[in-house]
Amino acid sequence: MSTHHHHHEDFLFKYIFSTDHKMISKQFLITGFTMGFIGLVMSTLFRLQLGWPGESFEMVELLMGSWQENGIMAPDKYLALVTMHGTIMVFFLLTAGLSGTFSNLLIPLQIGARDMASGFLNMLSYWFFFLSSVLMLISLFVEGGAASAGWTIYPPLSALPQAIPGSGAGMTLWLFSMAIFIVSSLLGSLNYIVTIFNMRTKGMSMTRLPLTIWAFLFTAIIGVLSFPVLLSAALLLVMDRMFGTSFYLSDIYIGGQVLDHAGGSPILFEHLFWFLGHPEVYIVLLPALGITSEIISTMARKPIFGYRAMIGSMMAIGFLSFIVWGHHMFVTGMNPFLGAVFTFTTLLIAIPSAVKVFNYITTLWKGNIVYSPATLFSVGLVSTFITGGVTGLVLGNSALDINVHDTYFVVGHFHIVMGLSAIFGMFAGVYHWFPKLFGRMMNNKLGNLHFWTTIASAYGVFFPMHFLGLAGVPRRYYTNSEFPLFDNMVDINEFVSTFAVIALVAQLIFMFNFIYSAFRGPRAPQNPWKGTTLEWTTPVEHIHGNWYGEIPAVYRWPYDYSKVDENGEFLYGDDYIMQTTPMGENENDGGH
Amino acid sequence: MTVVIVIAVLLVIVTGVQLLKIAELRAKSKGENIWEVKEKDGKFQASLMIVFLIAYMAYFFWQIYAWGDRVLPEPASEHGVPYDFLLNLTLGIISSVFVLTHIFLLYFAYKYAYSAKRKAYHFAHSNKLELIWTIVPSLALTVLILFGLNNWNKIMKPVPAETEHVLLELTGQQFTWTARYAGEDKKLGRSHVTLIEGANATGVDATDEFAKDDKIVKGEFHLPVNVPVQFVFRSIDIIHSAYMPHFRSQMNCVPGVKTQFNFVPTKTTAEMREITGNKDFNYILLCNKICGAAHYNMQMDIVVESKEDYEKWLAEQKSFVE
Amino acid sequence: MTSIAMENMDYKQEVKNKTSKPLLWIGIVSIVMFFGGLTSAVIVSQGGGGFINIALPDAFLVSTIVIVLSSIAFHLGLLATKKGKQQQAKMAVLATMVLGLTFVFTQYLGWSDLVARGYYLSGTSQESSYLYLLTILHVLHLIGGLVSLSIVLVKTFKKRYTPQNYLGVEVSITYWHFLGGLWIYLFFFLMYITA
Ligand code: HEM
Ligand SMILES: [Cu+2]
Ligand SMILES: [Cu+2]
Repeated sequence: MSTHHHHHEDFLFKYIFSTDHKMISKQFLITGFTMGFIGLVMSTLFRLQLGWPGESFEMVELLMGSWQENGIMAPDKYLALVTMHGTIMVFFLLTAGLSGTFSNLLIPLQIGARDMASGFLNMLSYWFFFLSSVLMLISLFVEGGAASAGWTIYPPLSALPQAIPGSGAGMTLWLFSMAIFIVSSLLGSLNYIVTIFNMRTKGMSMTRLPLTIWAFLFTAIIGVLSFPVLLSAALLLVMDRMFGTSFYLSDIYIGGQVLDHAGGSPILFEHLFWFLGHPEVYIVLLPALGITSEIISTMARKPIFGYRAMIGSMMAIGFLSFIVWGHHMFVTGMNPFLGAVFTFTTLLIAIPSAVKVFNYITTLWKGNIVYSPATLFSVGLVSTFITGGVTGLVLGNSALDINVHDTYFVVGHFHIVMGLSAIFGMFAGVYHWFPKLFGRMMNNKLGNLHFWTTIASAYGVFFPMHFLGLAGVPRRYYTNSEFPLFDNMVDINEFVSTFAVIALVAQLIFMFNFIYSAFRGPRAPQNPWKGTTLEWTTPVEHIHGNWYGEIPAVYRWPYDYSKVDENGEFLYGDDYIMQTTPMGENENDGGH
Repeated sequence: MTVVIVIAVLLVIVTGVQLLKIAELRAKSKGENIWEVKEKDGKFQASLMIVFLIAYMAYFFWQIYAWGDRVLPEPASEHGVPYDFLLNLTLGIISSVFVLTHIFLLYFAYKYAYSAKRKAYHFAHSNKLELIWTIVPSLALTVLILFGLNNWNKIMKPVPAETEHVLLELTGQQFTWTARYAGEDKKLGRSHVTLIEGANATGVDATDEFAKDDKIVKGEFHLPVNVPVQFVFRSIDIIHSAYMPHFRSQMNCVPGVKTQFNFVPTKTTAEMREITGNKDFNYILLCNKICGAAHYNMQMDIVVESKEDYEKWLAEQKSFVE
Repeated sequence: MTSIAMENMDYKQEVKNKTSKPLLWIGIVSIVMFFGGLTSAVIVSQGGGGFINIALPDAFLVSTIVIVLSSIAFHLGLLATKKGKQQQAKMAVLATMVLGLTFVFTQYLGWSDLVARGYYLSGTSQESSYLYLLTILHVLHLIGGLVSLSIVLVKTFKKRYTPQNYLGVEVSITYWHFLGGLWIYLFFFLMYITA
């Protein structure tokens, strides 16, 4: 056993061009968090402007240079920051950062495979992601500034530099960066799907997969079906911008000139964009839901309640997510009948979502909950998923959307249900699997502090936004001070911005804990949380191929926690039974 | 300044590292694993869950109390009344769901914190429970969907041509609005971006008979109370969105496409000033689709007044040929 | 035994055998979605009135015949490889290559025809733009197919494939058939919308 020889791989192949899924996972995590932190700082900066419009923040000028002349942000820079913030958070942090990290780390480890189906494609996937991140950041510094048309880049605004300077070189780079990003995401998804279907260890039937894996599987499938459509949308936009075609453009007079474009329709773009855009929110969300399912069950020392219903609801959500995109377009003048159809399909999503929430709550009921920071963030996710989810019933109903569409109500809604939930899932995952990522443990006390400060400030930031929205405050406004109507919003805006600053500071606690623990944290034992799944049977140190010797076989589902015999004593003497433990003779498998 | 900040940050980091090291050493000296969650610590976190429940709910109700009256005043349009009814119904339902599920979630999170004396209950599924929480939300949703579709179909139905109404075109462009009334003939003349020139900022076709009596206004537009208004929306550059929150009305303005919306204003500006207790109150049209640097300041005032006042005002406006 | 089976060539080969085709298939699904997105875009645009009617170039019909022939040739090649008839396999794969290149050439003829009739990528009509865009994108995907085909060609000439080991041919042919199918879909789709 101990005769393993060390390959003297050079640094380059071990750390940079690694094809090992665990290393690639770390690369995704660190790149994703770096991008996420940049996105977070951006949000704090523009929140300063919104909270105290026109006030001079000289300290910020140090950071922002010409973007913040005299400490005051210019309106077009505001829009550039909002756009980059949204893009970075949705795609770079919560798509690549989240899925890339945990699909890569957990798929081989939890299904019992030595690596991904194709380590090479996996490596390419990371490097495309890295390249697209770099391009996206470079776009901040080009002539005219970064893309400024919102993360949804609706043309004609995104097609015409005359309309906003960010639609020049900044937008071009945005599009190229996203094209590369999409390739990266597709390569990743290919690998995840094929690995899950083809490389499971002996005994690991689909119904013995942990819910994390199911979630990653659905996420990857949704990605493969939706990202190519975004690519096609982007391609047509590139054509309109660079080759003078008119797919999206028609009848435009701008900058004192009538443009040649004729016959196109911006609405086409919206359809193509949201065909990806809506599934995208589930690409962001499902991995987080999978992660918390796993953590809640492990830490409550109870099987996840309704394993099949959890899979079924994810499947339903995944399917429905492809037929609801029109709810983003209720006020584009779409045919009212279509609007009605989209209202119906959209509200249907509430049902599987509700099932998930109730199943989480029932899993906690009569559990024996061990409170690690991961547990806290998982419970936090259930809270944010409820809080943000319920307002979807307002926005998904076309008859109500007409007056809250594009207001701060929407900003509140999607930040809580998608932003916070996914971020919380990601944090939970990092705390929980840190021992698998870095072979060390994070500090719990700091983790707990991080959770409480984060959730308090997050609700401080995003809850009041519903009131702003119900008061009619539009999103993507540089300031609310031009409308006497919004004069009484000043203190709400200050309230929100104050918490935004606190939220930023709270993340420094995490950063510190993360960096310290990665290098100096206490060494991890093999199975610190007493989990049942295969990753806890691998050695703490990272080795190529994950297991010394044979890959263990699997004999049961992953949720045999607190299983007792007829005398009420734990089977096998402990409150968890590893998946690798064969079924006892008279043991009841519970019919999962 | 910068130096001070850098030093302060460094100090915080160094202190943090030292504190962590001390904590680890102490745990080690007691033969404990620092990363292990001790029962006592778990109980403390669990009690914070109750604190969180109370604080969160208090925060929720405090916001309603403190900011609840800052939301839009009562609707000033006919369909606004069922709109607000459905909105309040939905908000009521979701608030109760929000409160109830949080009570369960956080109470269980508190109650079932780890104790070495207890065993968790191995409870993997129950078809009955799962059926209940599939059906109950479905029923609630059915109600919302039915109300919603009913409202939606009414809202989106154009004003029938034979009904007396005002026909009004709103054109968006970076960063102003232009309103055009159909005039005597009740028809809007043709328009196209290629015809934009000088004062004709929205490209109305001067050769079209129907265009001659059209009236173009800027800055503010007037509406008669209790008369249906059929809006037509255009944009000559990029997408804008005509948002008139007090009338519960919003529609995008899309270049190359004509969109429409209609409502019946039911309260004059003067009445609304009384209702809101704000003598400077004005109805407003805002742009609600990101459209460039001055998007945040693309507005037009709306005045709702009696039919007589409206007609008097309209008569004073110049027609297109003049 | 080395304790880390990862380093084992057999293991690597096994993974490759198991996963090459599924990887390709899912890649194909994403390409289908890409073209699905574009062709739905054509349908949505068609409702908007930016279309004029353009007769499809005759060369595209020739393309269709050529690509069907190439698929048949490749298939014969695969059969020959499976039976170990290497001489036949060489001829068949070579024929596929020639037909593949002919396909690209007929596409080029089609575009020249369009240009000669005054239809350009931009500035004419949306229909014209879509015609160029869809066919060019298909050819770009086909170039990938040609690259993989040349690898198969070289390996066939070097007699690397045996009746036991022809995974590479299978992967390449799957993609090639897909490209053929994609072209036929595009051809009928374009015929339908230009009719
Ligand atoms: C404390 C952290 C955050 C703060 C303070 C914050 C704040 C904001 C605000 C105020 C806006 C609206 C700006 C406007 O409309 O003018 C915004 C936009 C947005 N945020 Fe965040 N955000 C945060 C974190 C996140 C996260 C985690 C996500 C991930 C989903 C996210 C995604 C977005 C998106 C997609 C937009 C829309 C951008 C656009 O309008 O194009 N944000 N953010
Ligand atoms: Cu959506
Ligand atoms: Cu505007």
